Amino acid sequence: MQKTRFSAVLATFILCMVVWILITWSFSVQELVAGVLVSLATALFSSRFFAHGDSWRFFNPAKIFSLIGYSFTFFKELVKANVDMAKRVYGGCKAVNPGIVRVPTEMKSDYGLALLSDSITLTPGTITMDVAEEDGKNCLYVHWIDVTAESGEAAGEAIKGELEKGTRRVFD
Amino acid sequence: MIELLIGAIFFALMAFSLVYRVAKGPSAADRMVAGDACDNLLCCAMILFSMYSGRGIYLNIALVGAFLGIIDTMLVGRYLEGSL
Amino acid sequence: MIAIRLLIDVLIVVGAYFALAGTLGILKMPDVLCRMQASTCIPTLGVLCVAIGGILYAACFLHSADNAIKIAVIGLMILFTNPIGSHVLAKGAYKADRKGKNSLKLNPDDYGRDINE
Repeated sequence: MQKTRFSAVLATFILCMVVWILITWSFSVQELVAGVLVSLATALFSSRFFAHGDSWRFFNPAKIFSLIGYSFTFFKELVKANVDMAKRVYGGCKAVNPGIVRVPTEMKSDYGLALLSDSITLTPGTITMDVAEEDGKNCLYVHWIDVTAESGEAAGEAIKGELEKGTRRVFD
Repeated sequence: MIELLIGAIFFALMAFSLVYRVAKGPSAADRMVAGDACDNLLCCAMILFSMYSGRGIYLNIALVGAFLGIIDTMLVGRYLEGSL
Repeated sequence: MIAIRLLIDVLIVVGAYFALAGTLGILKMPDVLCRMQASTCIPTLGVLCVAIGGILYAACFLHSADNAIKIAVIGLMILFTNPIGSHVLAKGAYKADRKGKNSLKLNPDDYGRDINE
């Protein structure tokens, strides 16, 4: 359990306030005061789980631009996987060969691992089930609907080839 | 635009057909998957119907559904995992 | 204006196509994890296309900014929170199945380390 730091509370508070303003979209004084109170309570309770390390990482413009660039790569992979899954379903759900593969990855930081495994889960056809550290490397256990590769490295190239390159550009 | 209403009815019918899986599904995880998909489809139907009728009040319902849909899924998942 | 109407129609039809794929996958796939894979089609392209269509309609025909922003928040919220619930539910389903009936058919099965201990 981390200690609650002031910079982490401030960063979480700004993020919560932006989300509050986007949801309500009214600038009367009463709503803004209610938003400040709710955001402050949320930030005090949850900042130690939310912001590890450098708290101002998300307000760095270079990171934001690389994140936007990564979203285009991710959208391309998403459309490809969606079309593949739609073909499988409309073809009668017979072409499935499910299995769980162990995929080694090069990512080190917590945020990078979270972004990579969330991207893998969000593409239809693959679900990340666990992240474990084995012999100094981080490994993802991925449920894959059509296992065609023989080894873990080949499976990793097929599952997360483009995604990992984009993720490493954003974090570490 | 009538096609917004047709789209909303189509999404609501798909959500209704998932009740079969919620009622039958062999395990608890099956029911939960179908319920989660039902929630997302009803959010879509709510967006389309709110655009058809031109009233923003349906969007608030869809917003609450989208925010709370995650919590029951995580609760059932944690319970099945045995760490709750 | 007519071009934007056609674009909104195309987006709704594409969203309905992928959402129907997810629904049929949930109804017809053989086991739990495959059903979960098919259901991922719904919150990605289904919700995303419908949300973009709704944003275009609210911005171009209703001229209301708050409705458009609210639809964008709904779409992004579903897109960001769905993988977390999906991951937790997949892990729970696997563990519950391995403790009980053991009915999942999986090929290269080397994810048993924290269950058989």
